[in-house]
Amino acid sequence: MNTLQRELHKKTPVIRFQRSFRKNMSAYLLILPCVLLLALMMVYPVFQTIRFSLFDVKLPSFDMQFSGLSNFARIFSKDEIATVFSNTFVWIIGSIILKFILGFWAAIIFNTKVKGGVFLRILCLLPWTMPSIASSNLWRWILQSDTGLLNEFLRSYGMGALARNWLGDPQTAIYAVMVANAWAGFPFVMLMILAAMQGIPKELYEAGEIDGAGPVQLFLNITLPILKPIIIVVLLLQIISNMNSFDMLYVLTGGGPGGASETLGLFIYRLGFTNFDFGGASAISIALLVIAFGFFIFYSLMNNKVKRGEA
Amino acid sequence: MMGKKKTRMLQHGLVYLSALILCGFSLIPILWGLSTSVKPEFLLYKPEWIPSQVTFQHYADILKNPLMAAYFKNSSVIALGSTFFSLVIGIMAAYGFSRFKFRGRETLLWSILFFQIFPRVVILIPFYITLKNLNILGSYAGLILVYLIVILPVSVWLLKGFIDKIPHEIEEAAVIDGCSTFSMLWRIVIPMIFPAIAAVAMYSFVLAWNEFLFALVFSSGNETRPLAVGLAFFIDEQGVRWGDLMAASILMSIPAILVFSAAQKLLMKGLSEGAVKG
Repeated sequence: MNTLQRELHKKTPVIRFQRSFRKNMSAYLLILPCVLLLALMMVYPVFQTIRFSLFDVKLPSFDMQFSGLSNFARIFSKDEIATVFSNTFVWIIGSIILKFILGFWAAIIFNTKVKGGVFLRILCLLPWTMPSIASSNLWRWILQSDTGLLNEFLRSYGMGALARNWLGDPQTAIYAVMVANAWAGFPFVMLMILAAMQGIPKELYEAGEIDGAGPVQLFLNITLPILKPIIIVVLLLQIISNMNSFDMLYVLTGGGPGGASETLGLFIYRLGFTNFDFGGASAISIALLVIAFGFFIFYSLMNNKVKRGEA
Repeated sequence: MMGKKKTRMLQHGLVYLSALILCGFSLIPILWGLSTSVKPEFLLYKPEWIPSQVTFQHYADILKNPLMAAYFKNSSVIALGSTFFSLVIGIMAAYGFSRFKFRGRETLLWSILFFQIFPRVVILIPFYITLKNLNILGSYAGLILVYLIVILPVSVWLLKGFIDKIPHEIEEAAVIDGCSTFSMLWRIVIPMIFPAIAAVAMYSFVLAWNEFLFALVFSSGNETRPLAVGLAFFIDEQGVRWGDLMAASILMSIPAILVFSAAQKLLMKGLSEGAVKG
């Protein structure tokens, strides 16, 4: 009987399709809203943006005139484009280095069982939980040139020569915001690394200790290799998230002074909503989209490896 | 023996010292803001950590400000709306993906994940164009829709992870008893994954409450402008009023901080699982 049924299934694809469709009806109904929504808000917008990037868009009427690749040519020949890209690069690399140093340090500290450790860990999480605009305001107040806490502190301890207009000086603006950004973001790195550290079996360390390895050796030879996959995933997430950075830079420097801290996010915002150059903003969005897609492929490959425990 | 004890003590000392530095770095900006928010005007620019005179005038100013009340209402509507819809749609999709094997399942799941790591600055212009075409630019609906796109990937993946762990047998028994898919979802699955639902709800609420860039571009005027945008433009003719600004920033942070401290353990679990699964 079973064999007969199986044969029947094989031989009549139409029936098989009908059955599988009926069986899966509820599945399609369940996922429909989610998929529809994502399609509406991702596929359609990307299509629209590709279209905009190839047209000369006149605001406010949105009159369109086909212009080929002229939007791309115009944007990528702008004087400031090199600065924007190098700022973005400096911002991403600098933020990641700071966040990883702080995050790793905190993860190692809070992975040791000491009294009050959980309480201290919660305190360290606080910056991450603050809304970015609230954090930006806190740091704006601290970094104020004339009455800010940082300069006050430097002056009162005889280091007045170091005091400067942190956010108004093109030399320091991007780095000052970077510190604020690391402050807000390091707890996330800490959480991820800590969670992975707590999953490492204790026996490994005991075995290492018996073999006479010191804490540094244990860290380098046991902890790091086991953490490698999660580090890569966090790294990729951080690249994306720092590429996305907007809030703090916008509030603290607005990309200034003179574009010294303008990153891609601020640049796209300025193109689209200050200059109303939608064609240009679309063109650069599309260029970035391609980069992001490359990242995604890499990310999912890595993630699959992590899942299978290969990396 | 003594040597070991000494290293242990040294280690503990180092741990506490490091923890102190890290917590100091984390807390100083917050405590300074807190201190500023209760200082009367004449103490505002004095480097006093514990003000010699305390006032709650700044908080009163903020709470009495009708504009702030409007922003607060807008933020609440948008955050609650995003939370509600991300839960309903997210639970349905997560259950569908977890329990049914259908064609294109894997592809769909991974493309959903793609939206999670999609750079927000890149979709700013596409979203703007779409919301404009849908005629919901500057409305609650527009912002909620945008936040849903950001929240749903996390929501679906996290909930699916939890539903995967529920044994099939319970549902099979329910099917035999004549339970439909939707009533099964409502009566059996939802109660069982309640912790995950709470986590997603908190995540959604905090994300929508805190978000700034989309709020800046897609809200319009005082009708829909949320707190985040209101606080970024908190400057009047007299320049920045730091006492009020600090008070408002702290008030805005309270919901997020409360939610996170309540969910600390849950969050850590969710993150460590989510990290491996995506």
